[in-house]
Amino acid sequence: MKHELWRWLAPALFLMSGAAAAETGYTLQQTDLKAKPFLDADTRTKLPEKTELEIVLRQGPWMQVKTKNKQLGYVRMLQLRLGSTPTAKDSNGWVSVLGPGTSSPRPSSTTVTMTGGVRGFSEEELQASKPNKAEYDKMKTFAATPDQANSHAAEVKLTARAVPYYGEDGKPLKDQGAKK
Amino acid sequence: MRSVYAVPGILLSLMFVTLLAACAGGGKGGFNLQNVDINQLVQNVKGLREVPEPEEIQIGDGVTETLLGARPLQDDVELQRYVNVVGLWVARQSERPNLPWHFAVNDSDYINAFATPGGNIVITKGMIRVLHNESELAGVLGHEVSHVVRKHHLNAMRKNAAFGLLMQGVQAGSKNQDLVNALAAPTKELYARGLDKSDEFEADRMGVIIAARAGYDPWGLPSALQTLAGVNPDDTYVKLLFKTHPAPSARLEKLAVALGTNFDSVTGGPQSTDQFLRITDRIRIVAAK
Repeated sequence: MKHELWRWLAPALFLMSGAAAAETGYTLQQTDLKAKPFLDADTRTKLPEKTELEIVLRQGPWMQVKTKNKQLGYVRMLQLRLGSTPTAKDSNGWVSVLGPGTSSPRPSSTTVTMTGGVRGFSEEELQASKPNKAEYDKMKTFAATPDQANSHAAEVKLTARAVPYYGEDGKPLKDQGAKK
Repeated sequence: MRSVYAVPGILLSLMFVTLLAACAGGGKGGFNLQNVDINQLVQNVKGLREVPEPEEIQIGDGVTETLLGARPLQDDVELQRYVNVVGLWVARQSERPNLPWHFAVNDSDYINAFATPGGNIVITKGMIRVLHNESELAGVLGHEVSHVVRKHHLNAMRKNAAFGLLMQGVQAGSKNQDLVNALAAPTKELYARGLDKSDEFEADRMGVIIAARAGYDPWGLPSALQTLAGVNPDDTYVKLLFKTHPAPSARLEKLAVALGTNFDSVTGGPQSTDQFLRITDRIRIVAAK
């Protein structure tokens, strides 16, 4: 089976592509490095704008990060951008379009080799499309039932809850309200 | 949540037709209507009527055939079924829980996701590849579900004059290949042009909430957008996505205002990383030259 083959090839391909790169990011502005992921937690230090950091984990609106001198702490997710700082974004400072765990970012002009070549979905490919009923019919066969969705939710410990929508200004929208 | 945009559109169009008819009545100062097809205009006005749900679903199915014509499904049954259970769980927390929701992963390395009227969602393999966990997937799907809930694509298509005529075909009720073929051109036009930016910002705000209602860590969508904000915008992998959507950094800035810090109280819920990584493992295997 093709998939089985991939399981064997995967380690070799990762070796070819280099070690999995740690995710990095930088501060958009001066930002507090908090001891814990709470707004009222102790501030360990103030990180200047464009401080480069290693991303350790994601936790709600917070990211645990490590500074270049190995100091750990939390910063607000929205205070960070991933990749290298804009001034360092030459040929290799961008986030990899191949996803986390792949090789470090590459120049956009470089061709990436994947099995069977890169499969695009460009504007040109969209314009050239011919309706594909066979694929549409196949898609329908994968539909989930509400019971299957509920089972999955229970399996990963998801509990539905009432949450109102928020407007552009951050205020809860009373007219749309929370779904009960 | 019903569309609130249809009525003003119909009224405006009726006023326009009435005005033209008055002019055609031979009043002084009126302009010559010999070259204007009133029947065509009336048909277009009819096309602006509220679209019943069965017709919306038929339109969405035709649109989906064209999207899947550009790139077929990813050949991975487990992945397709997984995205459907996650997607349906998310969609059932929306205001349109009983639509015939279908979710599909297409075989494209490019990063994108598409919603069609009536509840079909297509997400690219490339998009899933850059996600870290199921809460990010739920956020992205929540964004697409929001487009369906608010009928963003349907309303955008209705602004197309030719679409009014198409609607007559849908109204006839028979789903046939002629209708699907006729929908191909407006589908390509809309999905290459994209929605209004305000629709995208709204879908971001709603997508976060729908994922939160589903019990996920609501910061999944912002986290996914943060990844996209770090991608080189000149990269071909994101060219169509970035052409048809506001810049990820702009979307994050809008979300930062909309969510603020008072939304921290909604935080919580699993990211469900392990199962997500296990099921998406196969599509993550890539090799650099």
